[in-house]
Amino acid sequence: MTEPPEVSEEEFRKTCDFLYRRSGMLFTESKRYYVQRRIAERMAALGISSFTTYFAFLRGDVDGEIEKFINAFTVNETYFYREEHQLRCLSSDLLNERVAAKRRGEALRIWSVPCSTGEEPYSIGMWLLENWPDVDVQDIEIVGSDIDTECLTAARQGEFGQRALMRLTPDLVAKYFIPRGKERWRIVEDLRQSVHFTTVNLVNAAETRRHGIFDVIFCRNVLIYFDDTSRRLAAENLFECLAPGGFICLGHAESMSRISPLFDVRRFADAIVYQRPQGGAHD
Amino acid sequence: MPLVRRPSPPSVPPATPAASLSEGTIDQRWAAARAAASRPGGVALLAAALSQERDPLVLQAIFTGLASAATAESAAAVLPFIRSEEASLRAAALDALRAMPEASRSHIADLLGDPEADVRLLSCELVRSLPEAEANRLLIELLDSEADKNVAAAAVEVLAEIGRREALPVLARCAERFAGEPFLAFSIKVATDRIGDP
Repeated sequence: MTEPPEVSEEEFRKTCDFLYRRSGMLFTESKRYYVQRRIAERMAALGISSFTTYFAFLRGDVDGEIEKFINAFTVNETYFYREEHQLRCLSSDLLNERVAAKRRGEALRIWSVPCSTGEEPYSIGMWLLENWPDVDVQDIEIVGSDIDTECLTAARQGEFGQRALMRLTPDLVAKYFIPRGKERWRIVEDLRQSVHFTTVNLVNAAETRRHGIFDVIFCRNVLIYFDDTSRRLAAENLFECLAPGGFICLGHAESMSRISPLFDVRRFADAIVYQRPQGGAHD
Repeated sequence: MPLVRRPSPPSVPPATPAASLSEGTIDQRWAAARAAASRPGGVALLAAALSQERDPLVLQAIFTGLASAATAESAAAVLPFIRSEEASLRAAALDALRAMPEASRSHIADLLGDPEADVRLLSCELVRSLPEAEANRLLIELLDSEADKNVAAAAVEVLAEIGRREALPVLARCAERFAGEPFLAFSIKVATDRIGDP
């Protein structure tokens, strides 16, 4: 995967000074990569390609950008049931449509990529067990993939702190987690064993093809970190890994329409998602 | 638990690439286009296919292959399509050129001087990828002689984002020249305010 756009020494210093003056948050050289990622995220959300342009937006507080920029530094970790509206869309619309298109007995395949430390694929499993009426009659495979092998080790381990569980009700925590000491919980064995974790680089077609064809792909908040070319390559790789009629869910600040014309936009009650049209490969 | 786990998911059966990019099914041409980008001589194959291919899916793979090659040859292959009669092809060409800024860089000045207003207008977008000083110089040159209001508006829009103080005089002259165009007057005011009070 490609890195966020390089920020020069002076630009990094300008950004940190600005952030300190506005928020009191102090970032030094050791946090350079972290700062660059936040800048890249905001630039992508605004469709801006140069740092200078973005900094002008920030300095001018165009559309309340200062607050959004600062928020990007405080909301960075993932957690269970993040962007719950997409999970609602999954159980109320996407899977029913996919089941209707599949042969009887054929498993539904869902891919969470990148899956980080596992919160998303485990959330998908929990959500379906709790909210999808067909969960008892339909085989469902969930695959979680990431380029970061340390994240994958943690994901397989399935242990989480309190912040990761902040959106879950006590009932859900009691049902799907086992306390593991002070403010640590581990996913129950059944659920932990039902998610398959793999390594993948989204820009490498040979690696993505190894994962097979999916009905739904969750690919949230990663394409924004790529440059234009890598984004196009990743979009084509994801396209190849989707069944015709399959769906892809991106992060709320992302738009596939800005990346690639390969997908159709589908608007459901709970979410806007992208769909691979019928026709073309895999027919 | 009804969730199932398969340790070895079935691979995507990759379509067998067509022997050439100009034959076979859509799947095969798509596969051939994706494979060509990483092969020696692939850019020439993709460039040749670009003028023949009509399927939007395969065209997308061809443009991506050329953009990822990011060579002078691949930029030159994409360049003519920025003046295509088809809007989708023009947009795809623009996206591909934008995705290879270094390879496109040497062509931007010529594109901004193109006799066709549409080409000049689209090329304003490419200027965003240039270093700020160079981008300002090119847009100032364009704006000082531009007769088409839509092209001028596109240039002003980019200047509103990356403009430096040296662009202020040309913006003022542009406002005088297009005094009868309220939308342009508004854009120029926004750009002038942003540049003048950063």
